[in-house]
Amino acid sequence: MAIGSSAAVLPRNDGSGPVISAEDIRHTYDRRHYALDGVSFTVRRGEVFGLLGRNGAGKSTLIKAMTTLITPTSGSLRILGRDPVHDGQGIRRRIGVVQQGESFDFTTVQGNLDIYGLLWGIPRAERRLRRERLLERFGLGDVRKRRAFDLSGGQKRRVQVAREFMHDMEILFLDEPTVGLDVIMRRTLLDSVRDEVRRGLTVVFTTHNLEEADYLCDRVAVIDEGRFLLVDTVENLKRLYGGRKTIDLTVGDGDADRFFSALSGRLGDRATVTPSGGSAVILTDDPKEALSRIAELSQTMGVQLEWLTVRKNTLEDVFLRSVRHGGEANGGP
Amino acid sequence: MRRTAVPNILRLIYRNVVVNTDPGSLIILIGLPAMYLVFFGYGFQSLAAAGGSSSVYLSYLAPGIMAFQVVMAGTVGGSMLWADRRWGMLSQLLVGPFTRLQYLLGIMLTSMLFGLGGASVMLAVAYVLIGTGPTQLLAFAVMYASITVGSIFFGALMLFISALVKSNTAYNSIQILLIFIVNFASTVFYPLSHRLPLALRILFEVNPLTYVANAVRGAYSGSLSAWDVYEMLILCAETAVILFLAVRSYMRSDVSFE
Repeated sequence: MAIGSSAAVLPRNDGSGPVISAEDIRHTYDRRHYALDGVSFTVRRGEVFGLLGRNGAGKSTLIKAMTTLITPTSGSLRILGRDPVHDGQGIRRRIGVVQQGESFDFTTVQGNLDIYGLLWGIPRAERRLRRERLLERFGLGDVRKRRAFDLSGGQKRRVQVAREFMHDMEILFLDEPTVGLDVIMRRTLLDSVRDEVRRGLTVVFTTHNLEEADYLCDRVAVIDEGRFLLVDTVENLKRLYGGRKTIDLTVGDGDADRFFSALSGRLGDRATVTPSGGSAVILTDDPKEALSRIAELSQTMGVQLEWLTVRKNTLEDVFLRSVRHGGEANGGP
Repeated sequence: MRRTAVPNILRLIYRNVVVNTDPGSLIILIGLPAMYLVFFGYGFQSLAAAGGSSSVYLSYLAPGIMAFQVVMAGTVGGSMLWADRRWGMLSQLLVGPFTRLQYLLGIMLTSMLFGLGGASVMLAVAYVLIGTGPTQLLAFAVMYASITVGSIFFGALMLFISALVKSNTAYNSIQILLIFIVNFASTVFYPLSHRLPLALRILFEVNPLTYVANAVRGAYSGSLSAWDVYEMLILCAETAVILFLAVRSYMRSDVSFE
């Protein structure tokens, strides 16, 4: 069941061409530093496209450009086949945006939903229907008569997301929508988005939480310092590591730096050792050999192993590696 | 203007009215001028009577307080823009189906509506207190036209200021200072006297609220002069200039709260 409305069900990835198309987008706020530095990508209809990046990486600037809040300094951007500079309003009528910051009218929760629906021209009866459905779906029934500003952080976030579903849209931009939500509400939100995606909604989603990206996104882009480091499907990105495994290792008292340095030398090109204090993440094609080297070296150097696990690669590994090594996720050390 | 622009602006006006009509705002908007009318009206009327004046001060003050509504309406407009920036709704609305200009017009027209509504309430209060008032259609037309232009002027002025100012404290301080100066350096409460110091007299004479107060008073008392009409023409020209400046500064301003 669609949360919001009875919008037409559109086939997923129907081959009708990209709904977002960006080519060499650059944007600067101060004419010295580029918040976006040559970003190119496309998003297909019905796709969930994730933007992963650190704080200040350029995610929100990109969202602002795609939602017509800012005009990129250079490059070509088309949303739903339209040019944001010349037809911003035509684009905005067909998109929904949940911004990162709080945004409420100074009224109750249900008042916020009602007014927002009215602003989008939703008829009164339909508005009431959607409002009730959304209040229930997002667990806001008990606080419907409280002022939105008086709610907890998580409740406020739920109101913001629920409010956006008061109207129909073709693309939904979610700028870190799950910040402050508990596990249950986070999953409710992600499932709600998934439901809408099945009905043809395209979603652009920024997050810090890589599990969420793994759960929701068809493709992700890792962005850092205004540049895309990687753009691919989640599965492909994980596959970039081939049969590689990740070893998480923590050593006890002793010279951890010297130990990890020596280990890196012993493993050579067959593994990547990324130390961080007394711990290190080791990516390797041959975990058996790596484990044997770790055991051997710890005995030789008298370093105690406190924690050691071997696991499959996650999207987080891909992300960390690409950001640290400037997009060379599959590269050697 | 496109077909959808009018409904968009009407929706924005509705939203502005609903969001800004909490009891606190209404008390300030309507209650404060009404209190001026009652306390100043009766208080200074006693003083005038003690001095042997036969004039009825309440009849003088009532149209002045109606004119004063344009300043109150202007502050409501500025506060709406400021609050929308402060609470994140400006950027949220601007990623919605509206243009910046529609949003701005929505605020301007809401201010105007508050100005006209407030002036009507003051007119009704004046009827009750004085027992009489204007009856001619032309008088009403002139009063409401003056209040409309005055509301647009002060609405645009406050929007101009709120688009430029970066802090809430600064905005509130400017607003309070401006209300005080505009209000008391005008003919809202007392006529312009030639015994005033020159600088103060100039301030009275260039104050747009003086033009509105004179026009409303002229229509209210049936003594509208050519000079009042001339002043209103000046006000129209000033309104066009300040409106242009407000639109320009707002269109260039950062929509996010800083």
